[in-house]
Amino acid sequence: MRRPPLARVSLAAVVAALALGPLAVLVGAAGAAPGPFQTTRHNAGTPNSSQVTRNASGQVVSYGDKWITYNAPSPALTQLGQALYMENCASCHGTKANGVPAAGTVGAYPNLVGLGPATIDFWVVSGRMPAADPAAVQAPRRQPRLTPTQAEAIAAWVNSLSPSYPYIPDPHVKRANVATGMALFALNCAACHTIEGDGDALAYSTFAPSLRHIPAYQVAEAIRTGPGNMPRFTGNLSDQQVNDIVAYVTEYIQHPQNPGGFGLGQLGPVAEGFVALVIGLGVLALIAYWIGERA
Amino acid sequence: MSDVAGATTTKRARRGGGGRYGRLGQVVNELDDRLGVAKGGRTFLDKIFPDHWSFMLGEIALYSFLVLLVTGVFLTFYYVPSSALVTYHGPYLPLDGQRVTEAFASTVNLSFSVRAGLLMRQMHHWACDIFVGALVVHMARVFFTGAFRKPRELNWTIGVTLLTLAIANGFLGYSLPDDLVSGTGIRIAYSIILSIPVVGTYLAFFVFGGNFPGTAIIPRFFILHVLIIPLVILGLVGAHLALLVRQKHTQFPGPGREENNVVGSPMFPVFMAKTTGYLFGVSGVIALLGAFAQINPIWQFGPYDASRISYAVQPDFYMGFLDGALRIFPSWSFMGFGHTIPFEVTIPAVIFPGLLFGLAYAWPALERRVTGDHAIHHLLDRPSWRPKRTAVGVAALALLSALFIASSTDVIANFFHLSLNTVLWAMRVIVILSPFVAYPITYKICKELQGVHGAGKRKTPNLVVRTDEGEYVAEPTPAYPEDVHHELDPTPVPTFIEEPEPESAAPGVRIVER
Repeated sequence: MRRPPLARVSLAAVVAALALGPLAVLVGAAGAAPGPFQTTRHNAGTPNSSQVTRNASGQVVSYGDKWITYNAPSPALTQLGQALYMENCASCHGTKANGVPAAGTVGAYPNLVGLGPATIDFWVVSGRMPAADPAAVQAPRRQPRLTPTQAEAIAAWVNSLSPSYPYIPDPHVKRANVATGMALFALNCAACHTIEGDGDALAYSTFAPSLRHIPAYQVAEAIRTGPGNMPRFTGNLSDQQVNDIVAYVTEYIQHPQNPGGFGLGQLGPVAEGFVALVIGLGVLALIAYWIGERA
Repeated sequence: MSDVAGATTTKRARRGGGGRYGRLGQVVNELDDRLGVAKGGRTFLDKIFPDHWSFMLGEIALYSFLVLLVTGVFLTFYYVPSSALVTYHGPYLPLDGQRVTEAFASTVNLSFSVRAGLLMRQMHHWACDIFVGALVVHMARVFFTGAFRKPRELNWTIGVTLLTLAIANGFLGYSLPDDLVSGTGIRIAYSIILSIPVVGTYLAFFVFGGNFPGTAIIPRFFILHVLIIPLVILGLVGAHLALLVRQKHTQFPGPGREENNVVGSPMFPVFMAKTTGYLFGVSGVIALLGAFAQINPIWQFGPYDASRISYAVQPDFYMGFLDGALRIFPSWSFMGFGHTIPFEVTIPAVIFPGLLFGLAYAWPALERRVTGDHAIHHLLDRPSWRPKRTAVGVAALALLSALFIASSTDVIANFFHLSLNTVLWAMRVIVILSPFVAYPITYKICKELQGVHGAGKRKTPNLVVRTDEGEYVAEPTPAYPEDVHHELDPTPVPTFIEEPEPESAAPGVRIVER
């Protein structure tokens, strides 16, 4: 049976949820006045690493540090989210969002419970979900069918079933250090997305998508949640480092500095060879044809 | 007194002044008095160059090489060939504060902080791409027209060597900035050397001065790139041109063109004007590309670090066929007796290019043996007259093109939304099939072209005439007068005034006039 890559994500998410569940309980038990949280290598992107804001009933509304703020989806949207979910998602992911599909559909669909709002938001707002072809190896980024508010609403409803992290990140790219961002990008991202961020084909119809037209918060969502085949970067990247990468992607990958003239689509030697042979050599051959004899 | 003066001045000096050529003539006369440039110069200025446009393709290579020399000298003023780590500080923020090698830092600096530095760097790189491309096109022209045949085999050998050296030097130069992409290329080159059975490890350590990447390669590649290989290329280019002048240029057969003559424009003034114009054309096109088309933006790649890698890295186009061969070759290797022979690297990257260039070197001798044609040829073949040779050439080009396309399997898969594995297998099939498809098609086309009446002649219009009966008839108009066979009446070339040799003073002693 062909398992969509999301199945693997959901497996990881279930494991993460199992691990995070007790933590969440502990956080809840700590009461309305939580102490300062310890940052460890393994809890980046969760409230445990950062300053937390709670509402009157003690639920975490937002958390984060000066680099990234993670915001919970607005609870007011939960009702709308349920309706949108039933309309757009339930046929595959089941009415309880647990991956058990409606009778008559086939395939294993991921359990969404406990994935965290950032994951739900990312897949919907990037147009990957609702999937055009549920049997495809990898859902491509498309024109989104739902608006960002609708995506947030669905995330709010799924999150209401079992509150979990990470929340939707809001990176503060103005504070970032793009030099660190570039070094980290080369180390962690370029191996699949290429150093120019064009993305490329990977084995067996999977691919690393282009990073050219992606809003900053979605880049952060992808890093923190690891959609599809992408690794989930939690422990090994701090919020500051994620923010640096996001800043490098949105400021330089998406707006490359081309002081040398036309960037040739940032395609590298393939495009350069084409230009050299067809335009350079071609024009020179035409000049030769012009001044030479043609018998 | 006057006798002494008469003994030490020449005839021309006695005739006085610069004659009708004014001051320039005077200067030339002074030179002739001391160096005797007149006789050789006369021969040189009267040198006849056939005018066909395809004979200028080699000039593209020559003049782009000149641009390479000039821009390359400029780059050496600012480039620092060192692997020592420094902290880059400069106008490009994403690199500001990163630890990079001096080679990388100086290349970024010369791109951003040196006036015209980026223009020179880009012109150098574009000139390199055009140089190698022109060598290939020129070589194809020589091959398909049979210009390599006796007596020009030696010049063909020099040409193949020039191509090899140009590709090698291009790779070395591409590696010098020490950026992420070129570092990956050096890593591949290291592995290719390692894959040579028995001596690979020793050879790799010898070339790199130890394990990869080490600190020796940048200075070593630098001196090879800027001094040793360019000197060899320069020497071979000189020999190539000297042989061209000595053996005279080939020509296409045509009215008045025989095996024993050369029909064309004299060096002075026609060819000199043309070729000087072409020099400006070549350097102009390269300058325009350097100014308006960005090439190798190393600041976007960042410094090389063995722990970092970028996907979708291709070499410059002239290494593409090697990269493609490496990509599509199945992962076969031999392990045993305490040794590993990685056939997946050795065969596509060592044996295959060895065979390819070996075949290129051996081709003139092979063709002589197969055809039994040992005659001297100064008249060129039309490609269609030699269908087998043309078909072999096209088959080789088809194979190389297929391998070149195979070097971008990932780009193709991504662009057409195909599975990378499907593309890989498709390219394996295409690469193997391409020469076998190209050969018979080319052969057939050549055979057909041989039968076409008036092939290579200019077309004349057909006149549609209405007869008195009302019938319409298409009548071909007569051929252009220039296309009708006729003997040329060349303008007489001025002859030298030959003076009789003075008699020898004694038997066995020969007196030669200065």
